[in-house]
Order: sequence, then structure tokens, then C-alpha cells
Amino acid sequence: MSEALLRVENLSIGYDAGIGQIQALRAANLEAHGGEVIGIVGESGCGKSTLAAALINLLAPNAHVNSGAIYYKGADILTMDKESQRHLRGPEIAMVFQDPMTTFNPVITMGDQLVDFQHHIEGVSNTEKRRRAGELLARVGIPDPELCLRRYPHELSGGMRQRASIAAALLMTPNVLVADEPTTALDVTMEAQIIHLLRELRTDYQGAIIVVTHHLGVVAELCDRVYVMYAGQVVEQGLVDDIYHAPKHPYTRALIACDPAHFEEHTPILPTITGRVPSLLHPPVGCSFADRCDLAISRCREMAPPWVRISETQFALCHEARP
Amino acid sequence: MTALLDIAGLSVNFPAGGGLLDALIPGRKRYIDILDGISLSLKSGETLGLVGESGSGKTTLARAILGLSPISAGTITFNGAELRTRQSFTNMRRSSAMMFQDPVASLSPRMSVGALLTEPFIIHGVAMQNRKVKAEELLSRVGLSKDMASRYPHELSGGQARRVGVARALALHPKLVIADEPTAGLDVSVQGEILNLMTELKTVMGLSYMIITHNLAMVRHVSDRIAVMYLGRLIEVGPTREVFKMPLHPYAKSLIASEPQPDPRKRRADLAIKGEIPSVLNRPRGCEFHTRCSIAQDRCRSEAPELQAIGIDRIVRCHFA
Repeated sequence: MSEALLRVENLSIGYDAGIGQIQALRAANLEAHGGEVIGIVGESGCGKSTLAAALINLLAPNAHVNSGAIYYKGADILTMDKESQRHLRGPEIAMVFQDPMTTFNPVITMGDQLVDFQHHIEGVSNTEKRRRAGELLARVGIPDPELCLRRYPHELSGGMRQRASIAAALLMTPNVLVADEPTTALDVTMEAQIIHLLRELRTDYQGAIIVVTHHLGVVAELCDRVYVMYAGQVVEQGLVDDIYHAPKHPYTRALIACDPAHFEEHTPILPTITGRVPSLLHPPVGCSFADRCDLAISRCREMAPPWVRISETQFALCHEARP
Repeated sequence: MTALLDIAGLSVNFPAGGGLLDALIPGRKRYIDILDGISLSLKSGETLGLVGESGSGKTTLARAILGLSPISAGTITFNGAELRTRQSFTNMRRSSAMMFQDPVASLSPRMSVGALLTEPFIIHGVAMQNRKVKAEELLSRVGLSKDMASRYPHELSGGQARRVGVARALALHPKLVIADEPTAGLDVSVQGEILNLMTELKTVMGLSYMIITHNLAMVRHVSDRIAVMYLGRLIEVGPTREVFKMPLHPYAKSLIASEPQPDPRKRRADLAIKGEIPSVLNRPRGCEFHTRCSIAQDRCRSEAPELQAIGIDRIVRCHFA
């Protein structure tokens, strides 16, 4: 495989919480190559949003990078000065947020905002920037781009706003597009349309798309490779087909088994994962999933699990995983 | 089985904002139909799933049933008595309960869990011997520990807040529970826990549920019948299994096909449905779905289809069903 566009190495991030540090992300590794769509999937509190925020350098003020690095085109973006970070955000790495309503300023028309987003482009007139904005709105499937440019955000529906925020991110021609729960706030019909749009975009977009979601269906429909996260760690990574059809980590298996969309037949009692996610204030020494795992033996509680290589593309963080 | 809840020809409309002239000149005031001619019944012990996109009128229907939205036409009969007066709705709310959409926001942030759980008794003037004992009994019914009673809503996780919502809804032993998006915002493993709890309590307490959701995967497993709404009208009603197996209305068909499948081998290449739900201010003429329908003909653009019965237990509103 070619050199990764973006590479996260051994990244650990904690949040100061007064009573100690919450280990939100522990030794995470991730790679994104140009032209691929990556999924980061997991339940609330697994660290997926922390990882996404770190990628675009928008971590909360109480976040601490305890170890690790994020290399973008060979340079560590975490140790850069603020000014260089700011130049990366947008033109190099852009983000689509979960709530399309709060992406835009409510008191400025869409057209003016989309022109403002291009402020870093020099030597181009505002008329030209507006024309580009209109073009991209058309590209993301907004029926009347000219009308949309004159509108305020509240005049657009949720689906249209999410399309517009994807257009806003693409306006900067980023190399990496991070989408944090891009379809969560939308209806199922809109969700299908946004998935379709992102899938279409990848055909003429050379960069990497990173989709962060809790929705297994979205990942299955959209992604090439998947990172499954649990309690701040990446517990499994692999090609989307392997993750769904040959998952090696017990958590991945349990997560897929719980999804009600998984059953064609009427199932009145749905499977669940018993127990709770461990406190990340003092993460367990052994495997984080041990207390909820059917396969757990004493070793799982005493020793941190190894990162087992299943195949060239699939890895799992589990004592019991075998190729 | 007799019908616990029977809705016939229910309509809800709101006055459209207009100027002073519209208010003064009779007949000039415009009304927007939010719900139009809904007829639906819920048998005792049944779970009915009400599905549709945002803006289809699902929540308004629930509110109208509980007397929280004024009705402009039609009747609602609950437990054999027609609901018309304020008092009749108040009585009805004593034996029905609503679980609101946002589990945390629907609990008052200033009240402890214990106080929240016993509040229904005070509102409806139902005697209870000991507030603390009652709260603990309700907590154990939904699988929460007793010491939760002293906690405040912000100290709860989404799943715990939802369990408190379930306990509160069931406090007065209702006959009917209306649950608005009971699993929205919950993780997939917690979703299952809440649904399993609701299913278990239904059997134990003999409840009937109306579950409002746009989560089709969920409704498929918990409901006996489903009703699909579009722009304030029912477009298809039938037993869940049959509707999922063979949806008759093109909208129901595309809604079911839009659900993302958790299997990369089942990826769809095409889009099941294009465009958006039109605004109620601008209802399309004829069949309201014709703007997005793949099989629409000239007739659909001019003539609104009526609800027609198919077999014994299915109804659909389409010229081509």
C-alpha cells in the first residue's frame, strides 16, 4: 500500500476531570490513505469523537495528549505551532459535524458564509468564490443552488443543511474529510441520500474520508476499512467485509449481534451486551472487555491483550484472537 | 379482543399565520392540516408501531390522543368512552402514559429520581402509603438499584434516564403507553435492554403500546402491527411481518429499502427514494407522495387515492396497490 496520508501513532488522550484524568483514548493507531473511506465505529464514550477531534486539532481545553503523534504528510500535527495548525484546518483536513444546524451561523446567508469559508484563497474575487460555492452546492445535490445561497440556514431542511455542510467542507478541497456522525440527526430516507452522496463523492475525490459513527449500517454501506473502538482503545481493525463476516474480537461480534437491523425475523427478545463499560478514570490492567466477555479467562483480567495480526489487513486486540 | 383505543376520522389543524385582514375577514383565515382523517385502532395488549419521516405527524397524533393538541374533527374513543371534554382527557391520562422523546430532557433537572417517580401519584391524587417505598418499588421494577432514588437526572446515563422514564410512565399502572422514540440517542446494546424491558413489562402488566419511531429495524421486532404516515395521513396499516415482507404502498416500500443494512454484501447501488417530504404548507395535489413516487401516473397528480382494504387486516392508500 502507498504511504498513508494520515497516520495516528500510539495516541493517548486524557481529560482532566478534577478527580483525576479520564483516559478517553489509549494507544490508538490509525492510517488513512488517499481514495479510501474509513469507518470509526463504537458506542458512546468509546473515544471515537476524541479521536476525530484530535485529527482536526479541535480538542477540548481540558484534553491532554499523553503520548503519541498524528502524522499528516509526514509532519506531526500535534506538535506544530498554532498558526500552522490553523492552516491545516480546512484546506488540508476538514470536518463535517453531526448537527447540521450548528455548523452554520444563523444570522448570515448561506452564500456569504460559503464565500467566507474560502478566505484563505488569495487572488480570487468574491464573485468567483460565490460561483464556486454554487457549483459545489449543485454537486452535493441541492436543487436550486442560487436560491440556497440567498437563504439563511434555518430556511433549509436538515437534509439540505447536511448537504450544504458537506459542500462547505469540500469547498476547501481538503485531503482528509472527517465526518462525525454525518447522518445521525437525519431521517432514514435522508440518511440513505447522504450515504449515497458520500459514496458518489469518493469517485471524483482523491482524498481520504473518515466517517465516525455508532451506526453499523452506515459503516457497512459506506466504508472500505473499519476501526472498532471500545473503552478508549481500537479493539479491531480490518476490511469492512472481514469485520462484518469474520469478526475476531468478542466485542465486535457482540456489537454486530445486537443490531436489530441484523435480524430478518421477528425477534421479541433482542440480544444485549451485559454489564457496563469500565470506568476510564482507572482503566483495567487487563482487557477492558473482560468483564463482559464470554471467553474471558483469568489471563484476560491480569494481562493487557496483545494486538494480534489476523491477516495483512485485519488485527484484533484480544488474547483469544487467532488468525 | 376489543379495541382499547379507537380513532375515527381524526384531524388536527393549526391556523396559518396571517395578517390582520386575514383575522378580521371571515373565511379568509387559512388552516394548515397537520393530521387529516386518521382512523386507527389499538387492541388491548397490542403493540402498534407508528412510523414515518420527521414532519409526517406522528408526534402530533400522540399529542392529540392525550388531549395535548386540539382536535378539529373526528373522535377518539378510549376504553369504550368517547373523549371530548377536558375532564374526559384528564381521566384518560390517568390510565395512559407518555414516554417523551428525549430521556434526560423529559425529567425535571431539579427533582431527584425518587420525587420524579412519585410525582404522577400526586398529580392524579392517587394515594400511596410511603413515597420512599413506592419509589424503590418502581426502581426495582425497571432494574435500577434503590440508591438511584436520591440521584438527579444529570447524574444518569442515557439508558438509566430512559429506565426512569419507563418507571414513571408505568407508575400508575396505565393501560396504554405511548412511547415517542423510546430508543433515540441510545447505544445499540442499550437499545436492546430498553426494548426487552418494555416487552417484559408489557406481559407482566398487560400493557398496550403505541411506539412512535423512525427506527424501522427496532419497530420490526417489537410491534404487532405498524401504521405508516406521510404528511399527516395514514398511507399503510397492517401486521408488521406482512408489511415488511411485502409493503404495498410505494412509500412504505422505499422507507423499508432505505434502512442501511449492517452487511457490506448487501450494499445498494441505487437510491430507494429521492427528494424530501414536502411542507404541509404546500401539500401536493392528488396523491401527496406523487412528487417522490417512482410509479406515479397522471392520475396520481390529480386524484387523491382513498384508503382501501386489502385482505382482512391491511389498508393502503394508493391507486396501484
